[in-house]
Amino acid sequence: MRKTYLLLSLTLIMAVLLAACQPAATPTQSPAAMATEASTQPKMTEATSEEPVAETKLVVWDQFYRGVESEVIDQLNKEFEESHSGVTIERVSKVQDDLKTTVKLALSQEDGPDVAQVNQGRSDMGALVQADLLLSLNDYAAKYQWGERFSTSVSSRNSFTADGKAFGEGNLYGVSPTAEVVGIYYNKDIFEENGWKIPNTFTDFEKLLADIKAKGITPIVFGNLDGWPGIHEFSSVQHVLVDGKYINDFTYGVNNASFDIEQNREAAKIMQDWVDKGYFSDGFMGIGYDDSAQLFKAGQGAMMITGSWLAGELTTDADQQFGFFLMPQQSTDKPQLAIGGVGIPYSIRKTTKNPDLAAEYLDWMVSPRAAQLWAEARFVPAMPLPADFKIEEGSLFADTVNAWNVINRDNGVGHYIDWATPTFYDTISAELQKLFGKEIDPATFTANVEKDYSAFLASQK
Amino acid sequence: MVGRTLWPGESRLKGWVYLFPGLAIYLVFVFYPILETFHASFYKWDGFSSNRTFIGIENYRNLLGDGQFFKALSHNLIFLIFYCIFPILIGLVLASLLGRRPLPGMSFFRAGLFLPQVLSMVVVGVMWRWIYNPAFGPLNLFLKSVGLGALNRSWLGDFDLALPAVGVIGSWVQYGFCMVLFIAGMQRIPKELYEASELDGAGSLRQMIYITLPGLRAEFGVALITTIVAALRVFDLVFVTTRGGPGDETLVAAFLVYRSAFQQNRIGYAAAVATVLTLVIFLVSFLILRVQSRQEE
Repeated sequence: MRKTYLLLSLTLIMAVLLAACQPAATPTQSPAAMATEASTQPKMTEATSEEPVAETKLVVWDQFYRGVESEVIDQLNKEFEESHSGVTIERVSKVQDDLKTTVKLALSQEDGPDVAQVNQGRSDMGALVQADLLLSLNDYAAKYQWGERFSTSVSSRNSFTADGKAFGEGNLYGVSPTAEVVGIYYNKDIFEENGWKIPNTFTDFEKLLADIKAKGITPIVFGNLDGWPGIHEFSSVQHVLVDGKYINDFTYGVNNASFDIEQNREAAKIMQDWVDKGYFSDGFMGIGYDDSAQLFKAGQGAMMITGSWLAGELTTDADQQFGFFLMPQQSTDKPQLAIGGVGIPYSIRKTTKNPDLAAEYLDWMVSPRAAQLWAEARFVPAMPLPADFKIEEGSLFADTVNAWNVINRDNGVGHYIDWATPTFYDTISAELQKLFGKEIDPATFTANVEKDYSAFLASQK
Repeated sequence: MVGRTLWPGESRLKGWVYLFPGLAIYLVFVFYPILETFHASFYKWDGFSSNRTFIGIENYRNLLGDGQFFKALSHNLIFLIFYCIFPILIGLVLASLLGRRPLPGMSFFRAGLFLPQVLSMVVVGVMWRWIYNPAFGPLNLFLKSVGLGALNRSWLGDFDLALPAVGVIGSWVQYGFCMVLFIAGMQRIPKELYEASELDGAGSLRQMIYITLPGLRAEFGVALITTIVAALRVFDLVFVTTRGGPGDETLVAAFLVYRSAFQQNRIGYAAAVATVLTLVIFLVSFLILRVQSRQEE
């Protein structure tokens, strides 16, 4: 009898490990899904005069699974195959979480993907470089002159030293086709109705918030149930108070950067001040990101602080008009600095049998043709648009492209601070929820986050 | 064990042949991964590179110093109330309403009440996230419409309410199973016992205490083990609704395993947490079964 029970209890617990070890495939930090109809016209490009090669298969893993993005990639792949006879591209598209959890192991295999999208930052690209699984792209960067398409600030985001320890310098390990900039979307209809203007300074912006609140309208639509949107609210204001050098040093973990500084406490204080004054959506702690975007799209608030990726969603089937501007600096003569960066880059597996072909594919993914297709799908491309490409003036997409150009002009492409350490995302999103929920004060917040940061810096030495 | 003696010359080999397919699957997909997890818990490993360093019990030592681990475990214990105690109580009440005498439309109610148990946990999570939504969720709208707008909260984002709010979802999912289990058990209890006790003047409450509850002992054992295990291994609901937030108010052990392994590349540490969790579950299940089998003897 007892033996049967023993067996039974064993069977019951076995499910635990299985459940615990299964990564779920739901998008986490993914921006809202786009539903835009892309106006991609198949167009033949000049075929590269390559010698016809024998049947070669290039396996590519990406996370462009959403409708519009996927169409762009399919189109680019088709044109690549057409201009390279004998080459077939086997595309494996996964949601971001799924890619993140599987790509590392796959890249360590002999038959893994030749090309894969590898997230920037220490826990992904850094860990892979440390394990010697990615191909350094330095030679190809020179060959294809990627330096002319991407600024140093952009390239350093995809760079690590060969030992994978130092971030932001050393070898290039990836190229990103798309760009992102975090700023403020505003509802043009609400703004026009009330005669509000885009503010020029941060003081004006805070005054605007007060005016909007006085009218009984929600100033900032916000939902922090998922944790990561809070990073963008806080860090947008942080980027106003600090300078570009600090954000660089902090993200790359150099020059004894610390999180526990006056400017960060000040930014945290402003966040709590905005909570007290009711500038955020009612119940924002219990609203998810996608739901907050839907609320904003439906006109339930004047502004929303988030990234350029939402532009497509906001121009599809919306009965409101939207615009986009960067978080204003303290004074107009200060160079613009804003959270921004490039999308998840394509990298090459070190042990691939076709490194040259893979590099050619990477070059194609960041070609002017790719820029054009992305722009037609209303995504901001990371590389310059072809000179003859026309953007509809006054459109939301024109605003986001302009914002990206401005921060590039001012050398003010900031960072997603959650790249700073492998555990930083979990730490800061949890601590920010406590901050927004008024569970802790600004000083405790910066001290708690610094604990994670300094522990990591110490472990690197 | 009801066995028959072997025929003369009959080999035991035949038994093993029949056993083989099930055993092979069990060994490959359950036993080996458990061993491998246990093995991995003594290493520092990122999950993909070839440098795997043996560090002995370092992961377990870190575990003991990790406040988050104990916080997560304490949340699992609180979930016992929602995953185990509430569902058993609700299941018992419903079973005594539905199980004893036939009511019109009974199968409809039974099926309807069992429904939450059938739904995928991800669907359940997404649905409740909507119910709890402070901006347009039905819960707050309902409270407002009956004049209780002052009770409106941002449920899943509230530092005091998030854990109970997730727990309530667990109760909602679990009670159906307990109910069906108890209904089945009640039908096994001889009707004569009730008739006889009625003649002796016992009311329905006394019948419940002296006949129904003792008669359901075996079912209680099963219900306890399944619900307790469910409370200790909860992952899906937390992953879909709160991801451990706000702060770490809904962090549970299994989510800590996921986060360490797949977001922070700390496979060894995650394996240590998983091993401890498995041992806890094993121990609890074993104790319940022991107590139960002793009672039966």
